[in-house]
Amino acid sequence: MNGWCGRLLTVDLTSGRISIEPLAPELLQTYLGGRGLGVRLFRDSYQLDPFAKEIPLIFAVGPLCGTASPTSARLSVVSRSPLTGTIYDCSAGGRFAWRLKAAGFDAVKISGQSKSPVVLSITPEGGKLLPADKLWGLPVKGTVQALSDHGSVAAIGPAGENRVLFANIMMGEGNAVGRGGLGAVMGAKQLKALTVDGDRKYEPLDRPRFDHARKDIMRLFRASPVIFGDLGIAEYGTPALVDLMAQRRMAPTENFRKTVFAKSGQYSGPAIKRAYQPKKDGCYACPIQCKKSTQEGVPLPEYETVSHFGALNGIDDLRSIVNSNTLCNQLGMDTISAAVTLAAWGELRGEFLRAEEIGPLLNDMAMRQGDGDQLAEGSARLAEQHGQPQLSMSVKGLELPAYDPRGAYGMALAYCTSNRGGCHLRAYPISHEILRKPVATDRFSFAGKARIIKIAEDTNATIDSLVACKFSFFGASLEEYGELLSAMTGIEYSPQLLKEIGERIYLTERFYNQQNGFTASDDQLPERFFTEPGSAGEGIEVPPVDRQRFTEELIKYYRIRGLTDDGRFTDDSYLDRQP
Amino acid sequence: MIRQIEKHFNKMVADGSADETQTAILAKDDQLLCQGSDSLLPLGQAVLDRLNVVSLVVATPPLPLLDVLLGRLAADATEISPLDTETRTFLHDIPVVRQSEFSVERPERLVELLGQRKGILVEGVGIMATGSVTVELAYINYSSVYHALFIKVLLDLLLHKDPSLKEIKPLGSLWAQMHTPIPESVDFLSSLAPDRESILRAIDETGRRTVELKLVDSFFGNISCRSEQQLYISQTGASLDDLAGCIDLVADDNSSTAGITASSELIAHRAIYQQTDAATILHGHPKFSVILSLLCDETDCKVEDCWKDCSRVRSLADTPVVAGEVGAGGIAKNVPPVIAASGTAVVYGHGVFAIGREDFVTPLRALIRLENYCRQEYLCRLKARVPEETQLILSGPDPA
Repeated sequence: MNGWCGRLLTVDLTSGRISIEPLAPELLQTYLGGRGLGVRLFRDSYQLDPFAKEIPLIFAVGPLCGTASPTSARLSVVSRSPLTGTIYDCSAGGRFAWRLKAAGFDAVKISGQSKSPVVLSITPEGGKLLPADKLWGLPVKGTVQALSDHGSVAAIGPAGENRVLFANIMMGEGNAVGRGGLGAVMGAKQLKALTVDGDRKYEPLDRPRFDHARKDIMRLFRASPVIFGDLGIAEYGTPALVDLMAQRRMAPTENFRKTVFAKSGQYSGPAIKRAYQPKKDGCYACPIQCKKSTQEGVPLPEYETVSHFGALNGIDDLRSIVNSNTLCNQLGMDTISAAVTLAAWGELRGEFLRAEEIGPLLNDMAMRQGDGDQLAEGSARLAEQHGQPQLSMSVKGLELPAYDPRGAYGMALAYCTSNRGGCHLRAYPISHEILRKPVATDRFSFAGKARIIKIAEDTNATIDSLVACKFSFFGASLEEYGELLSAMTGIEYSPQLLKEIGERIYLTERFYNQQNGFTASDDQLPERFFTEPGSAGEGIEVPPVDRQRFTEELIKYYRIRGLTDDGRFTDDSYLDRQP
Repeated sequence: MIRQIEKHFNKMVADGSADETQTAILAKDDQLLCQGSDSLLPLGQAVLDRLNVVSLVVATPPLPLLDVLLGRLAADATEISPLDTETRTFLHDIPVVRQSEFSVERPERLVELLGQRKGILVEGVGIMATGSVTVELAYINYSSVYHALFIKVLLDLLLHKDPSLKEIKPLGSLWAQMHTPIPESVDFLSSLAPDRESILRAIDETGRRTVELKLVDSFFGNISCRSEQQLYISQTGASLDDLAGCIDLVADDNSSTAGITASSELIAHRAIYQQTDAATILHGHPKFSVILSLLCDETDCKVEDCWKDCSRVRSLADTPVVAGEVGAGGIAKNVPPVIAASGTAVVYGHGVFAIGREDFVTPLRALIRLENYCRQEYLCRLKARVPEETQLILSGPDPA
């Protein structure tokens, strides 16, 4: 078995028992790693409450991690989200994943609850729990600095400790395991941080084939305007999308009441470049280096963050936006959910927050004090509590990112079919509806989108299991990554086979959700998008989403997935038939 | 979706890459949609049913090029490596399936290979190509495979085993077509006024005309115009004959990144404008210009990856030929220094860049002239490799 370590580190925080268990080759070859492996290892636990002591929190790397495979030094963290109640996974870069693989583990499964705060320190020999009372309460940066002698660090901040429902796990380099609140799951376990160190190296079984595939991928990266183009993400980071979304009139503004913010140019990619002269940064061994940081090394915000702390809250002050990003990173909170919750709060109050009010409120959220306590529950619970649930711009309780669904109908559908709630990355239709990769589709049409979304979900489930970065797929495809994987492992993985693996992962997640009570009624957009138009102009109309066409396409999607017309599995034996 | 099928069926027939009676396009929505030849649809359906893709094109090119190519391959050859750089970048290799390996009832080998690659060469059928997202993507993949195989077989006739009468004769209509020059009458193109509407109209007309003249297949190229410190440039993946709404504006000072969707050759276009007095650029992949750019007289050269590593500036009818990869990969470095003198430059195994100082007439005419020259040069070189009686077939219509 090449490409995998065949080792799982299991940790019971209640008893303090730590052991190394073998992982069967068949399981690894069938589920690959990352999201797929995590979801499979979660099979006996998916009905547990997200804050139950026994619920596992799984960190899993993939078979390409630790090699020269581009953008593959990543991991997925899997558990059940306290924010959405769905099965949840999130992929993150940095150096932690690479180190975990170098320590000789495919995954770490942490269950139980410690009586007092601890740090899990992982080395090739296994794991050790260290007291962390002195770290409890520290922001992420302080925690990472205190543990820097132990290798790479993944830590929670005060938000995770206080069970903010959208608390992140932060990688020491600033990358986030974000969105669904897995930081709160970690906090509930009294686990302040994980550290990992190791030096094992991995060699492909077929080095020439691996190198050939790698060169193919690099050539495709260079041919991709989104990646290495003059205006691409390698140069400007993801804020390169600010101007494009404004031009396409689909930049969510004032809690999605509008779709254009006249002052978005204040925080666009070029504006950030002018203001900060950023240096290129990014995940270990990634050739793209799309993350940008200040000259002092402070991570600068991504597209979603600038747009939501900007347009969505009606703020054009770049310094305030950057400060919000830094605060969220230090407190260990998801920027998208935090910003959308603040926008919902603004609309509930009848007045959006001023730039200077944002920072203190973010702090209150993380500390669960004052109004921050109710905001820490996320926008859906907040709006519900105030009797106006329609003001939460979320699907399945997960706040929507910065692509207005009225401007891209595939995105509208994909927000709803996503197993983890309103997420843009499950099918990433922005790739073809806006960025024209691998081919352009009509963003204002539902025609054909059901199957496109289904295939993309399968593909992305595979990518999250390899684990590779989705930005790679603005240039490359499973064709090239299948070659890398085949060369690494000696097992032939065609794109077709990889998509079958992705399909199994996707359906397993949907089955977990169904058994936990999710139905087709959860696969719905907020009412606003069906009744209110976006901001028309410059020859572009942004009408409300046609509910009838949306529903037709959603039913088509269910059929294509092999589900009933109301989105259910035809029987309860799906898991029994899976490896 | 059915309109997409019809549109691309018609495009394939119009661009000459597929025989109308031997073409089928199939697509899956929540049910199967299809159009085309009854003889190909059952096979297409058997394959598409087993693949996790949206669309499949199955077609036979009107010229028996693929038969000639298959006849030249070793009996145990399982794949063809494209020689032109763009399809090499996107296709990697093109698997070959022999007639004995499949049937409608036994499509597994086709499914296996189409599960690995975007398009395949199928003996007795032609080309099969998939689209993972849209019907258009299947069309693009088909067109790319056709382009790659066209170049492969015609280059092979010049470089390898001497062509036989059996190979030359069935391609008679191609040779005849090559004797009729592509017309240079392009003066009707709109003149270039500095206003946005005029520029967009000129770009649209030029792109459409470039495809109508069959200089390039529709998505093989890009076009730009520089005016008042900004660039109007076709978007990535845009079809040259369908550019309405597909032009990006890119400011010289990068004050906006809305042009992130611009052609992957934006970097090259910008570099050309910076280093020359060009006002317009037209880039395409005319087949015979590409084929002749691949011919090299060097006999003792150590360079292996000529398409990216060759540092020489060769010449094709006084037009410089340089190496360089797509996008950020070298074209932008190698083309600008050589293009100003002749107004045209060829990228090894890739295509032609042509510039204009005032309008699109000059670059379009330059592309036409170069391609006409390359056609004649190709015929001359081919004639030199065949016996006298076969040369007659290559000599064109009898003037009488």
